[in-house]
Amino acid sequence: MRNPSLIKEEFLKRWIIALRRCTSLKKNMNILERNKVVKLSADLAMASARNGTTSWSRALIANATRDNDNRILAEQILGPESEILVKRVSTMPFKTCNRRKIRSKRILKRSCSSAIRRVRKTVPRKVLANCIAKRLIQKRTHILKSLVPGGEFMDETTLMEETLDYIAYLRVQVDVMRSCTYC
Amino acid sequence: MNRALPEMLHCLSGPGNGTDITVLERQRTRVKWQHQEQQNYFGVFLEPSQAGQVGNFQDLVGDGRCGSVLRHVVTHSVKPDPGLENGWPELGRYELPDLGFGSAVLMNGSAAGFEMNSTITRTSSCPHTEAQVAPEAKGKVSEPAEKMSSTVGRESYKKRKADKVQNTKVVAEDDAKDKRSKVCAEEGESKITTEQTRTKNTTTHPNNRETSADTSRENSKASEVQKPDYIHVRARRGQATDSHSLAERVRREKISERMKYLQDLVPGCNKVTGKAGMLDEIINYVQSLQRQVEFLSMKLATVNPRLDFNIEDLFAKEIFPACSANFPTIGSSSEMTNPAYLQINPAQQMVACCGLEMGVNTPDLMALRRTISAPVSLPETYFDASCFTQLQPPSTWDADLQNLFNLDSNQGRSISFPSQPFTGSIEASNLKMET
Repeated sequence: MRNPSLIKEEFLKRWIIALRRCTSLKKNMNILERNKVVKLSADLAMASARNGTTSWSRALIANATRDNDNRILAEQILGPESEILVKRVSTMPFKTCNRRKIRSKRILKRSCSSAIRRVRKTVPRKVLANCIAKRLIQKRTHILKSLVPGGEFMDETTLMEETLDYIAYLRVQVDVMRSCTYC
Repeated sequence: MNRALPEMLHCLSGPGNGTDITVLERQRTRVKWQHQEQQNYFGVFLEPSQAGQVGNFQDLVGDGRCGSVLRHVVTHSVKPDPGLENGWPELGRYELPDLGFGSAVLMNGSAAGFEMNSTITRTSSCPHTEAQVAPEAKGKVSEPAEKMSSTVGRESYKKRKADKVQNTKVVAEDDAKDKRSKVCAEEGESKITTEQTRTKNTTTHPNNRETSADTSRENSKASEVQKPDYIHVRARRGQATDSHSLAERVRREKISERMKYLQDLVPGCNKVTGKAGMLDEIINYVQSLQRQVEFLSMKLATVNPRLDFNIEDLFAKEIFPACSANFPTIGSSSEMTNPAYLQINPAQQMVACCGLEMGVNTPDLMALRRTISAPVSLPETYFDASCFTQLQPPSTWDADLQNLFNLDSNQGRSISFPSQPFTGSIEASNLKMET
């Protein structure tokens, strides 16, 4: 496991650099802008620290660079490496092909659920409990996918990995920010 | 003698079932059993039933090769022992090249109605692969034992044959020569070598949570091979063997393994069992963390109107040598770009604080450190000059703070960290000389 303190150092370093770059762009920002800047810089700092190895980091960068108003800011934050990163992110073909998969999955789900409704009345309790459990798990997986950036396009196993990584990152972020506020 | 091992195993296990035996005991008993078996077989061969072939066999044994004679030898197989079935097939597979006939017997001994041809082709490994794997095979007695203790279920030969059929379909390089045997030998060899590295990794990093989780992925499933595209799966006893269910099982086990890691990571997940509950906890945790981040960023935005973070503050966070190396460079670069931005003559202070950790600000720093109540994980690397240790758990923050105070008390000396991989102190001292 990567040493958490090393991760913290890395994150802090990048975050500070990113913040400085942002503030050099615009000296006086109102509170909302600042908030946005803080969050964005923190996100991008960590995402770039991962260097495109994890899917959620790629998704973060992709989301940040997608909106036009954020784009310039994001590219500024990422600095000179931004071009390389953005290229790498865009070449990951995870979005387009998966949209089709998702559409077909939805169609399949709908047809299956209607079939299940028909069967449900005649089915013994054990199987019914299984179905209910599966449903619960599916719902929760769906929620988790919406939480983790870029999670909607993943299968379960990668989702779990990404969640692990993402949780570690969030923890680091919270720790660093908290200690910054206490100073 | 044939019953020796299971008896030994049962004796060791005592009241519990076979899985309660420790790995070491199992391993020992198995090794003993193997030796006994080897001796057995030499004894067996002298029986008159197939003397000529026995002679042949002994020649082969002398050469260390397994051949068609094994087929005959194998007919004298030991009676299958049900108690061994969980472990022996695997062991036999791992021990394959080294023990030669012994392994063949082991494999045969564990299932009735067993078909020779398939296993013989498996055992008739090419001499070079044998030679390669033979020296490693001895060391692998421990690994299979470990693996076996870690695998959940039992394995059987009938399934294995069906499985092997599936594997041969799956594996791409079938068409080389003696297809099956070659594949199986390679499979065995690659399995052994990969398992070896994997067990090493897993034993040294029990909570390895690398996202490139090869080791973690393979840990629970003993028969999974890290080949590029294909996953070789062993079907368990009493379970379906078609490819779909096998793949499904592999997938499920991967997921459950990751859930275990998540359990360690997410607090409060230990009490809940089952996928749905754990997913719920995970979702709650991620949501709470995200909310915390939002709240803290808002707080930072309000507290710091200019979004400037003092380097001193950052030092107070005790993220020392690595950052200290970089902050001078940061300071200098940003000085060039916006001179108005940096207020506190940071370069000098940074440098002063960097390599020496003392200087002008020491009293302020000390005060700041004391005021830190937040759970900051302190870098033990700073204190342990000899090596970089792992991160200590949060319970030892107090100890770290104490260390800090002790270190601060030695103000006079310029601390040199001889074994520091970072060149931070060197850079810092250079900068100091320049300024």
